[in-house]
Amino acid sequence: MAEPILEVSGLVKHYPLTRGILFRKQVGAVRAVDGVDFTLHRGETLGIVGESGCGKSTVARMLVNLERPTAGSIKYKGEDITRLSGRALKAVRRNIQMVFQDPYTSLNPRMTVGDIIGEPYDIHPEVAPKGDRRRRVQELLDVVGLNPEHINRYPHQFSGGQRQRIGIARGLALRPEVIVADEPVSALDVSVQAQVINLMDRLQNEFDLSYVFIAHDLSIVRHISDRVGVMYLGRIVEIGRDAEIYDHPTHPYTQALLSAVPVPDPEARDRRARIILTGDVPSPTNVPSGCRFRTRCWKAEDRCAREVPVLAVPSRLRTTPTGPEAHDSACHFAQVATVVAGQGNGPG
Amino acid sequence: MLLEVRDLQVEFRTRDGSVKAVNGVTYAVDAGETLAVLGESGSGKSVTAQAVMGILDMPPGRITGGEILFQERDLLKLKEDERRKLRGAEMAMIFQDALSSLNPVLTVGDQLGEMFVVHRGMSRKDARAKAVELMDRVRIPAAKERVKQYPHQFSGGMRQRIMIAMALALEPALIIADEPTTALDVTVQAQVMDLLAELRREYRMGLILITHDLGVVADVADRIAVMYAGRIVESAPVHDIYKAPAHPYTKGLLESIPRLDHKGRELYAIKGLPPGLMNIPQGCAFHPRCPLAQDLCRTDVPPLYEVTDTDGARHSACHFWRECLHGRADS
Repeated sequence: MAEPILEVSGLVKHYPLTRGILFRKQVGAVRAVDGVDFTLHRGETLGIVGESGCGKSTVARMLVNLERPTAGSIKYKGEDITRLSGRALKAVRRNIQMVFQDPYTSLNPRMTVGDIIGEPYDIHPEVAPKGDRRRRVQELLDVVGLNPEHINRYPHQFSGGQRQRIGIARGLALRPEVIVADEPVSALDVSVQAQVINLMDRLQNEFDLSYVFIAHDLSIVRHISDRVGVMYLGRIVEIGRDAEIYDHPTHPYTQALLSAVPVPDPEARDRRARIILTGDVPSPTNVPSGCRFRTRCWKAEDRCAREVPVLAVPSRLRTTPTGPEAHDSACHFAQVATVVAGQGNGPG
Repeated sequence: MLLEVRDLQVEFRTRDGSVKAVNGVTYAVDAGETLAVLGESGSGKSVTAQAVMGILDMPPGRITGGEILFQERDLLKLKEDERRKLRGAEMAMIFQDALSSLNPVLTVGDQLGEMFVVHRGMSRKDARAKAVELMDRVRIPAAKERVKQYPHQFSGGMRQRIMIAMALALEPALIIADEPTTALDVTVQAQVMDLLAELRREYRMGLILITHDLGVVADVADRIAVMYAGRIVESAPVHDIYKAPAHPYTKGLLESIPRLDHKGRELYAIKGLPPGLMNIPQGCAFHPRCPLAQDLCRTDVPPLYEVTDTDGARHSACHFWRECLHGRADS
C-alpha cells in the first residue's frame, strides 16, 4: 500500500451546550464526532458513509481546517495540522481542498466563474503569477469538461451538474494532493450524477489525487471507494476495503444499513432479507453507554451497555487473518452476514 | 379504473412566454395498484400530480387540454367546492418535505383531528381520539402523549409518518406520494416505505409514487411510467422495464446507477443535460442525448407506440423501441 498522506487519530468535536446569558455555564455537549481514527493513503479513495447526524460532515470540515477539533490529531505527511496557524496552516490548506455538497449555495452568485475558480490564486499567489491566471482558469474549465469560453458567465447560467464541475475546478486550482468531497453528487439528477462521478474518477488518475468521499448513498460510495468507513453517532463502527464492507459486513449497523438500500431490481424484492431497524438514532447530546448502537441492535446484551467496543479486528473473526471478514469492526458480537450478494442481474 | 389521466396538457405563463410543463401525459392507476412515476427534476411528474389533486397554482399554471377521470368522473369539469370535498376524503397527497407541509404552530393532534372536524363534522374531543388512533396506526410510539406535541418535536421519519396518517385519515381511494422518502435516511426510508406498502394493501388504495429513485421503484411499484421533458416516454409493468427497457432514456438511467453488489467499471453516463422547458428540442425531446437517434427523431415527435414483443401492456415513445428492447444498434 502507498504511504499514508492523512492520519487521523482520536478525533473529537464537541459543541458545548450552555445555559444562562450573564453567567454562562456548560450544561452538556453535542458529541458530533467522538473518537474517529482512520488513515488515507496516497492515491486512494476513502469513502465515509453514515446517516444524517452521524458526524461525517463535521469530520470533513475538520480535515480541511474549517473547524478545530476538541481533541485528537490530523497528521498530514506526519505533521499534526490541528494546531497550526499562520503561514504553516496556509501552506497545508493549499494541499487539502474541499468540494461542497450544494452547488447552488457554495458558489457566490455575484462572481463570474473565472473569479470563483481564480480566487484561490489571490490567497496563494505563488501558484500562478497574475498574468497567467486567466489561462490557468480556462485550462481548469477544460479539464472538468466545461467550455473555456464561458469564463465570464455567472453561476446561475449553469445547470446543477455544471455548477458542481465549477466547484471541482475550484478545488483543483491549487493543485492539491487531497480532496475532501462532502456529498458532491447528492444534489444532482441521476443522469448527471454518473457524469460527475466519472469526472472525479478521471481527475484522480490524472492528478494523482487522494479523496475522502463522504456520502449517504451506499452504491455510489462503493463505486468510487477503495476503502469504506461506516459512521454511526460520531464514531466509525466498521472500516475496510470495499468488498470487505459490502460483501462481508460484520457490524450489525452496517448490515442493517446495507439491507435497507433499495435495489434497482424488482426480482430481488422477495428474495432479500431486510433488516428493518426500529426507532431513531439517539441524540448526540445523550449518547448511550457502552456501544452506541445497542439501543437499536437486535444482538445487544448486557455487555454492550457496559463495555465500549473498540474498532479492531474482532478476536472471534481472527481465525483467518487474511479472510475478508477479518477487518476492523466495533462490535462485541461481530459476525459475517451476507446482505447484498446475489441481487440478480439487472442491466449493466 | 380508479384514476385515468388522458393526454393532459399543462402550461405555465412566464415572463418569457408560456412553457409546456406537461405535454400530453396519459396514465392510469387501479385500486390496490402502485404506479411509480419516475423522472428527473423538471420532467413534469409533480405538476401532473398537482393537476390531479387540483392544487396547481393557477395562474401561472393553466390546464390546456386532456381529462382526468377519477372514478369515472372528469375532475376538470367539477366545480372547485366539489373538488375540495374529494381532496382528503377520496384522494390525498403526501409531500416530500414533512416539516414545511405541517403547520408549526398547531399540535399534530389538532392537524390530524382537523380532517375529521372539517370533513366528518366531529367534535374536537372525538377528533382528538381519532388522531391518537391514527398515530397508533402509523406506529408512532406513545401516541397519547405525543398527540399534544408540535411538528418540530418529531424526527424526520416520525413527521413523515404523521403526513401518512393525515393522508390516510379518511381512508381515501387514491394516495399520491411525491418523493415521500427523499429527505429521509435509508434505514428510515425503509421503515416508511414498508409502512406505506402495508397500509395500501390493507385499505386497497391506489398509490401513485412520484420518485427519481430507481431502487425505491423496484421495491414497491407494480407499474412504472417514465417521464422526460413533460411526456411519458415509457410505461410498463415493473419487472419488464428492469429486464429490458424499451426506451433509450430508461435504459440510460438504469445503466448509469452504480450497484451495491459489485464495484463495476466506469459508469455509463447519458451525455448532455435534461432540456430546459423553454427550449425543448424538435422531434423527440431526448434525441440530442440519445445513442440511437436518427434523422427521423430530429423531425418527428414519436407517439406512444405499443410494445408488442412482450406480454404485459407496454408503451414506448421511441421510434426505435424494437432496437432498444433487443439491444441492437446500441452504441
